[in-house]
Amino acid sequence: MASKVTIDASATSKPKPSTAAPIEPLKNDAARLYTHIHPVIVLSMYAYKFNAIVADPVPALLAILAPLAVLQVAYVAVCLPPTGETPKVRKIKPGEKKRNAPGVLESGVNGTIVPAFLSLLLAALAATPLLTATLVLFGAPVTTHHLHTLLSGAHIALLSTLPLVYVHGVRGETWRQIVALLMPIDEVYGGMIGTMLGAWLGAVPIPLDWDREWQKWPVTIVTGAYIGYAVGKLLGGTLLKGKKIMFA
Amino acid sequence: MASRSVLLVLANLLIPVAIVVFATGFFPYKPFMPGLATYEDSGNDEVLGKGWKEPPEAPFDKLVFMVVDALRSDFVFGEESGMSFMQSLIRDGTALPFTAHATSPTITMPRVKAITTGSIPSFVDVILNFAESDTSSTLGTQDTWLAQIKAKDFDNGKGKLVMYGDDTWLKLFPNFFERADGTSSFFVSDFTEVDNNVTRHVPEELLNRDWDAMILHYLGLDHIGHKAGPKSPNMVPKQKEMDDMVRTIYTAIENEDHLANTLFVVCGDHGMNDGGNHGGSSPGETSPALVFMSPKLAKLTKQSRRESPVRPKHDGEFEYYRMVEQSDIAPTLAGLLGFPIPKNNLGVFLEEFLGFWDNWSDGARLLYWNAKQMKKIVEAKYSGLRFDEEVLGAKDMGFECSPSATRLTDGQSLACLWQGVQQSKGDSNDGTRHSYKFMREAQETMSGTASNYDVARLFIGTALAFLVCGLSFFTLPKLRPISSAGIYFTITLSLYAVLMFASSYVEEEHNFWYWATSGWFFLLYIDSMRKDWSNKWILHPAFATLALHRVIRRWNQTGQKYAGADDIVNSGIFHSNSIILWSLIGATYMDVTLRIARHIARSVATFDTEQKKRGDIEIESTNQNRMMGTIAVLPLSGTAFIFKLAFTAKDAPELTYGLTGDMLDAIESLDLVGLVRMVFGGLALSASWIAFAEWQRSKKRIRRGAQGNGEFAVALFDMITLFLLTQTKAHNIPMYLLFRIQVSLLTLIDLSPTATTLTTLLLSQTSFFALGNSNSISSIDLSNSYNGISDYNVSAVGLLVFLSNWAGPVYWSLAGILLLGSHGATQRYVDTKELHVADWVAQEHNYLNNMARKEEKNREDRKGRRAWGEHVALLTFWTGIMLCGVMAACTALRQHLFIWTVFSPKFLFAMAWGVACHFGVTVGLGGLVWWVGGW
Ligand SMILES: [Zn+2]
Repeated sequence: MASKVTIDASATSKPKPSTAAPIEPLKNDAARLYTHIHPVIVLSMYAYKFNAIVADPVPALLAILAPLAVLQVAYVAVCLPPTGETPKVRKIKPGEKKRNAPGVLESGVNGTIVPAFLSLLLAALAATPLLTATLVLFGAPVTTHHLHTLLSGAHIALLSTLPLVYVHGVRGETWRQIVALLMPIDEVYGGMIGTMLGAWLGAVPIPLDWDREWQKWPVTIVTGAYIGYAVGKLLGGTLLKGKKIMFA
Repeated sequence: MASRSVLLVLANLLIPVAIVVFATGFFPYKPFMPGLATYEDSGNDEVLGKGWKEPPEAPFDKLVFMVVDALRSDFVFGEESGMSFMQSLIRDGTALPFTAHATSPTITMPRVKAITTGSIPSFVDVILNFAESDTSSTLGTQDTWLAQIKAKDFDNGKGKLVMYGDDTWLKLFPNFFERADGTSSFFVSDFTEVDNNVTRHVPEELLNRDWDAMILHYLGLDHIGHKAGPKSPNMVPKQKEMDDMVRTIYTAIENEDHLANTLFVVCGDHGMNDGGNHGGSSPGETSPALVFMSPKLAKLTKQSRRESPVRPKHDGEFEYYRMVEQSDIAPTLAGLLGFPIPKNNLGVFLEEFLGFWDNWSDGARLLYWNAKQMKKIVEAKYSGLRFDEEVLGAKDMGFECSPSATRLTDGQSLACLWQGVQQSKGDSNDGTRHSYKFMREAQETMSGTASNYDVARLFIGTALAFLVCGLSFFTLPKLRPISSAGIYFTITLSLYAVLMFASSYVEEEHNFWYWATSGWFFLLYIDSMRKDWSNKWILHPAFATLALHRVIRRWNQTGQKYAGADDIVNSGIFHSNSIILWSLIGATYMDVTLRIARHIARSVATFDTEQKKRGDIEIESTNQNRMMGTIAVLPLSGTAFIFKLAFTAKDAPELTYGLTGDMLDAIESLDLVGLVRMVFGGLALSASWIAFAEWQRSKKRIRRGAQGNGEFAVALFDMITLFLLTQTKAHNIPMYLLFRIQVSLLTLIDLSPTATTLTTLLLSQTSFFALGNSNSISSIDLSNSYNGISDYNVSAVGLLVFLSNWAGPVYWSLAGILLLGSHGATQRYVDTKELHVADWVAQEHNYLNNMARKEEKNREDRKGRRAWGEHVALLTFWTGIMLCGVMAACTALRQHLFIWTVFSPKFLFAMAWGVACHFGVTVGLGGLVWWVGGW
């Protein structure tokens, strides 16, 4: 048997990084400017509402969910190139036949606004339940605080998934590479990784005996996600841009 | 390779050395005075009044000392208390109430030591508490108020003692009592028998004239706490029952002439926390009640408030009336009953009782003797300083005692306070004040604060632990290429070391492991996503283990912050209907049974003459063999199951409520010790038999030059599982079914050796906490520590305590070995030759081809000692980091408020992890399983 083993067995288990290029923000002035302002606005909004979130998480998180959605939609529409496959996806849908032949005026709307809203829809309907379930698997309460956890899932989904869907679409293989951390890092991917790591690390301060109001569920998680998003987006867009995550 | 092994052995040998060095520096040295104190020790002090050699006339000559285990202060003094008679005595002024602060560890034996000797027992006593029969821990030869009463001349000869209740007293004071009836606190579900066994003796003893002190120790209230917490519906009725006992005794004191001069003391040895447990240092645990009662006390309470019930000083805490130290009981009894204060006492005579003596010099004499007795201990501790019984100048002292001199050491300031006592001797006002000042300060200093550490040893111990890390670092598997397991291992260890400095994370350590384990399972998922495209998005084994982990972590609520919060065990699903629980337990036992049956079948098949004749190397078990295996193993696992049922029916009857009928009655009457011995014996017998059979197979393989290995490792693991089930409480047994599923799922994930070790580490820690343990002494479970032991045997009990509390880590350490050696996985010897002829699609062909090669490589990798060596290296490194973190935290925070309450218990647990778990289980038992895995 030994004679047959000529090929290095570990060759099959080596991860194959994606060959895709990192996402470049659009090359117009508005995009270049807004991509830096956007995280500042998002963080300011969160900071402004922070005390209200600590006091009563559910209404406060609900109140900033719509503004966050608007901000994220605006961000992707202004700054990011929509995925190339989105029209293809739309073509299959029978209800959307009208848009198959866009006019000159419509192209801006079709090109950015519509995919942005579709991404919002996907983030809200698909990613939120998935991320909420993940939160529960990671230890979120099951019997109580349902709305708290669901809203945290929604915030994390809007921060992390919405831009990703906008730039990468919904192809299975692409998403496998996204989950497998095989994509090259860019501001969108960095924002997603940052959000997830931030939310995960956000659980660390909860058991400390500081007796602070903000240690309650889910304030630290959502705060971690917001900070992680901003940091990840910044690093992903600058320092780590184009890098690949390498580990066996 | 050889130098690596040397380093690894060296690192492992250093672990116990580091622990011992650190422990000797950390647990304070306390001067111990042998012998009994006498009044002759009191010296010559004519300034102390006329009869300075004579003790002041004692107001009492008999003592009834009633301990109600875990009698928290609010159970007596609070507004919801059921003890209305005692409260009425407080209002009448014939009872003096206190809250007696009990120091950690708040468990019975060290508390009884504190009450009787007046000393403050150290954490070393905790270890001895588990080794109760150890003669060095008895108080028979020490100076206690019991010994003093026995030595005292009463009207009818030497003092006589009687004792009813907790047999801790009988173990601590062997051959002390004229009459005694001990009850053991073996089954905490027993709320009534333990107390009736005490109460039935009391009326008769109250009529007996021969005793001078009667000790009663009631356990029922403590049991109710352990079982259902302080808010249990049984609590107030039990308090009423205790109150009735107090009434009986107090009425006898009022009415019987021979009891007229009897002092009646009721106290708790410790309190309980909101979960009803104790051992730690929360306010609830450290605040037992202390009440002195006698009609004579009315003389003392003319001016006091006499209110009851009252509210605690701070809401949510348990400080009622004046807070005194538990050790103050001993000198107070000495003064009130007229005998010398025990030599090792660090307690202070309670000033409320000074009112008994109209002549000030009597009280001053008592206090001076108390102070002088404490001074002797202080003197022994600070041997370089002068504690003379005369006024000394600054020249003789060697330093200035002026109030402005702030830079005095603890010893120097005590010497100065002692000078204050000397200067004010004979002064009616100042004398009392100075004596109390000195005694309170001495009490505080000697209770185990900074001055008692041997700092050099702390540093050496920590440095040795650091050396363990250093040595084992060079034995680690190579760091490149960077792997997710390597990164995660590093992050986990560094974060752990940092978090050990946060007292709340020591208390809530389980959160760290749950969190780290969740993250790791998710990373495993990402990892496998990177390797090959699989359709298992959600149903991926990593996700399934994560989901199981989510269930496991909710099984038992542990830690301090949310102690007593809802968890799966207490949610009621196991209580209202025990059928669910026992079905799950039954399934767990069934699974183990079938596994062991397979091993037995295989061993029987070894000697199958039919197949032997045909000359097969690997003899497969036939149906007939399997049936024989099942028949052989059923009595064993059946006995184990029946033992569990019988034990639970006694230990936790609420878990067997749904099961009724004659069967349960029959089971309850069985002899538990005999049953469990049968189980242990059966396991040993089966293990030896299978070992013999596998040995035969192995010899045959070697003879024929065939490849492969036997299944003894798996068999051993399955039999150890059955043993661990025997050592586990019923409500935790279904967790082993979940563990089992996790093991099977993990075999489906292609784990690298480092990843396997990390998984082992994370799951060992997770299972320890998920089974209900924490870093608090109160969480140590003793209910399974006497399985199969009828007489006290220190090492056997200690071993069983360890195995029943560390059952989860033992399970996972061994499961980790099986994962490491791929013993648990189905061995797929895919013959690549066959693949070419098979009519399969090219992709699958490739896939299988690769898989075959990979498995071949894994088999090669894992053969021999290398994988095992790297596994041990990683875990030695972890143990080093863990010890380093804990020791550095204990050293750096030795002045911290929580050092005795949080960090010292953590160090005790770290000792157990380092020595017993790493040395004994990971290296010892794990090495054995690895070795037999190669047969
Ligand atoms: Zn207890």
